[in-house]
Order: sequence, then C-alpha cells, then structure tokens
Amino acid sequence: MFIKNILKLSLLLCVFLFSQPAKAIDIIVNSTVKTNTLTASQIRRIYSMRQVLWHEGLPIVVYVLPSKHKLHQQFSKEVLRMFPYQLDRIWNKLTYSGVGVAPIEVDSQQALIKAVMTTPGAIGYAELSNNYNNIHIIKIKG
Amino acid sequence: MMNTKQMLIQFILLICCTFSAVAHDNNSAKWQWHGFIAQGLVDVNGSNFVSNDKSLSTELTELGINASYNIEPNLRLAGQIVYLDGGNRYHKGTRIDYLLLDWAFYNQEAWQAHLYLGRFKNVHWLYSSTRDIPFARPSIILPQSVYFDGFRDIAVGGDGGALKISHSDDEHGDIDFNVSYGTSPVSKEQGQLILGKLALGKVQQDFDLQASLYWRPTFSAWRIGASILDSDFSYKQSPSDFYSDGDFSFKFYTLNALYEGEVWEFSGEVFQEDFTIKGFYLPNFNKVNIGQGYYFQTRYRLNADLRFLARYEYFYADRDDKKGKKLEQATGGLIPAYFAFQNDFVLGASYDITNNLKVRIEHHWVDGTARLSPVVQPNPLINNKRYWQMFAMQLMYWF
Repeated sequence: MFIKNILKLSLLLCVFLFSQPAKAIDIIVNSTVKTNTLTASQIRRIYSMRQVLWHEGLPIVVYVLPSKHKLHQQFSKEVLRMFPYQLDRIWNKLTYSGVGVAPIEVDSQQALIKAVMTTPGAIGYAELSNNYNNIHIIKIKG
Repeated sequence: MMNTKQMLIQFILLICCTFSAVAHDNNSAKWQWHGFIAQGLVDVNGSNFVSNDKSLSTELTELGINASYNIEPNLRLAGQIVYLDGGNRYHKGTRIDYLLLDWAFYNQEAWQAHLYLGRFKNVHWLYSSTRDIPFARPSIILPQSVYFDGFRDIAVGGDGGALKISHSDDEHGDIDFNVSYGTSPVSKEQGQLILGKLALGKVQQDFDLQASLYWRPTFSAWRIGASILDSDFSYKQSPSDFYSDGDFSFKFYTLNALYEGEVWEFSGEVFQEDFTIKGFYLPNFNKVNIGQGYYFQTRYRLNADLRFLARYEYFYADRDDKKGKKLEQATGGLIPAYFAFQNDFVLGASYDITNNLKVRIEHHWVDGTARLSPVVQPNPLINNKRYWQMFAMQLMYWF
C-alpha cells in the first residue's frame, strides 16, 4: 500500500515537473531595427556572424551571455540548434585570427537587456517579464 | 636576478590583467580587446622535440593580446601580438601574429566578401588559424604532419592579401572560399630550424599561394573542406658555405572533415606534400619527395566541462620509401630508417574550470622522427630512438 502511494506520488510529481512550460526565450532587438520576423536559420546566421547587416543596411550588433549561462545554453540549442561549444569555436576563430569580430559578451540578463536597449542595431535574447522601452521582440518564423 | 623572459612575461601579464579588468567595458560595437595566457609543463622522453635534456620543461608558454577597431562599418583594423616559448619547437620570442585591414566590400543577407591586407593568418586548414590559441585548438601539441612546429612561422600566415567569400542560405548551407597570396619573412633562426646549423646562407620565401573551400550543409553537424598550397623558396649560399644555391618548391594538398555532435566529435585531415629540391646539396641535385599522411581524431564530452581526446596520426616523408630503407642505405646507415616517418597516438583530456579557464593534459606515443627539426639535416645522435613519448599539461586563461 505504502509503495503504491509512493509510486502514485512520484507519478504525480513527474507529471507536475514535466508539464511546467519552460520559460520562453525572447529574441530582442533595439527599436532602430525595422525587422519584425526572422527564420531560425537567419538567427543562426546572425549568431554565426555570417550576416552582419540588417535588411535595411544597419550594422547588426550581437550580444550574448557567457557560454556556461543556462539561458545561453538553452538559446543555443533550442533557437539556433547548435551546441554552445560550436558557437565558441566560430567566435574564437574570428577573434583570435583577426578575420572578424565575435558577439559582445555581457555577464547578466539585465546587462544584456540594457545593452540592447541602448545600442542601435543590437540583437540579444532574454526571458522578458516586463515591457521595456526601445526594445521589440522578434517573431521566429518556421 | 630576473631574466628577460620573466620580465617580458610579467609585462604581458600586467597588460592582460589590465585589459581583462576593463575588457567588459571596452568591448563595444567599435572596439574589442581580447587576450590569452597559457603556461604548461612538458616532459619528452626519447627525442629533442622540446629540449635537449630529459628533464621536465616549462618551455610551453603562450601569451597573446589582440584588438579590433571599426574605422567604418565595413572597414576594420585588427592586430595581435603573441609571445611563444616552445623550446626547440619554434623560435622563442614575440611576434606580430597578424596586423591587417579588413575591408568588407560586399555585404548582403546571403553573401559576404572580405579583403584582408597586411599580415594575415592561414585560415585554410582545419586548425591553422588557431594553432597558437591554446584553448581554441584540440590538443596542446597539434598533429605534426600537418601543423609541423618547425615550419610554424612560415605556415602560420603571410604578408600580402587574402580574400574571403562566404555564402549562406537555407538550400545550400554555409560555403566559404578563401584565397591568399603573400610571403613570410624567414629569419636566420627559422632557416636553421629547417636546414640545420650548417646552412649559413639566406633562405627566402618567393611566394605562397593558398586556397581553400569549406561546406557545411544547412543545419548539419558535418563540414567538409579542401585546400591547396603552392610555395617557392630560394637559398643563397654564403661565401664559406657547406651548401650550394638552391630552389625549393613546396606543394601541399589537404582534404578534411569535421562532425560536431552533442557528445561525440570526429575530425580528420588527409594530405599530400610534394617537396622539390633543386641544387642546395650539390649544384645539379634534383629530387622530388612526395610525402603523405592523415590524422583521425575523436573527442567525447562526458559532461559540460570534461572532454576526452583520442587521435591517431600517420605520416611518411617519401611515398617511395615509407619505411626509410632507402634513406638508411643512401646515407650509409648515418640516418636511421625511422627518420622517414612519424606516427603518433595521443590520449588527452581537458577540463573547463570556469568560462575562461581551462586545463588540458595529454600523452603522446610516437613512432619515428621525421618531424623533428632540422628535417633537412637530421640529428641522429640526439634522436637515437625510434619510439619516443611525451606528456604535456597546460593551464590557460583568456578574456
């Protein structure tokens, strides 16, 4: 009887745990960016530094969190469908061999939101719980 | 008494710490500062790859600092200074690693084209552009068949121009085409590292032309690539020289593949080198050596921080003399057969202590001595063992 109850409880706990929706990641851009939607592969190209201008010609300024940050790992796998180490490699190659520039790394989500708010052409990601001025959320197509 | 090396290291450390402290504020859309510091221990048993004695060596120091400044949205100035100490592996000291003007002359959503002028790095092989960046390469000592340290200063880049054309779209994936043309200055030390101390003349690189093509299909874990290199060198004898004037031609072809999975990773390069010597040994000397080889490497990620490495590398300097019998006969036994090949089996591990701090260890079991400097005039007195081993560990920090 006791074991049965434990099993039931565990099952309930599992259902509860797994039914909690994971907090969605918002792709945020500075309000100077006129783009409203991007495909997953466009975001991937932007974060691989293979697309450096917005459609309207404004330079893209890419912000990221440290590679071991939980949100960065989630963003990397779920949105970009890449592993964080692959991004690190691309960026290290650009930075340390002089062929390009890597995204700008900031320490916290708050600092990232602030940087996107204040930098024309900026893109970043966050779990937004409030509305912010100077920022809009990009819809991911497809 | 502090020696020059310690003073220089302390100076670069000071610069690195200062820049590291301000790096977060100084990295903006216009300016970026980055750098790295790495120190290791290396123990070689049975060869003079790092040092001529058998003791544990600290000659595994790599420091670097770089900056990038956007003059205009499509015009950028970038440079990096490195200090390297690898014992006998390459010339010890400070170098301008790259210093270039990057002109992004065509930018579209799917296409990008860059022209680099100045001193650029070799981006054509799998790890050529990050061979000195301790945390960005797969092992402390790279496969010597492709990334031969004795040839590092010439192979690492050049002074001239380079072009990069990239294309990305959902149908074709990511395609990169690179071409570069330039020369590398060959110092007296570098010349002797390849030719030996008896070569008193001057070595000059006449030109170096390289091209490569990489392709990664859309959202694929695979990437494949190919590269070609064509380069000429000339040797001018000095008045009391043991050697004659000579011309060397070096051609190098590679094919590579990379698979990047969540826990498993595979990579490898297959190559052929055509090395032609005209003159040098004797005025009428003429010989073409065709060397071939490959390495296959796998990495396994146990968790977010711990990664294991295994690699096997196979190389011979002359496909008509893979086991070195002809070499030994031709030199009357002076140069043993094992100078004709070098195979290496490596096991290693790396651990990420923090986002910017990593430690790496590895052990090499090597059979043969074909990639021990100087290759043109081998030293069988010191390198008198066919089988030799090496252990290395390195702590690295970057910002």
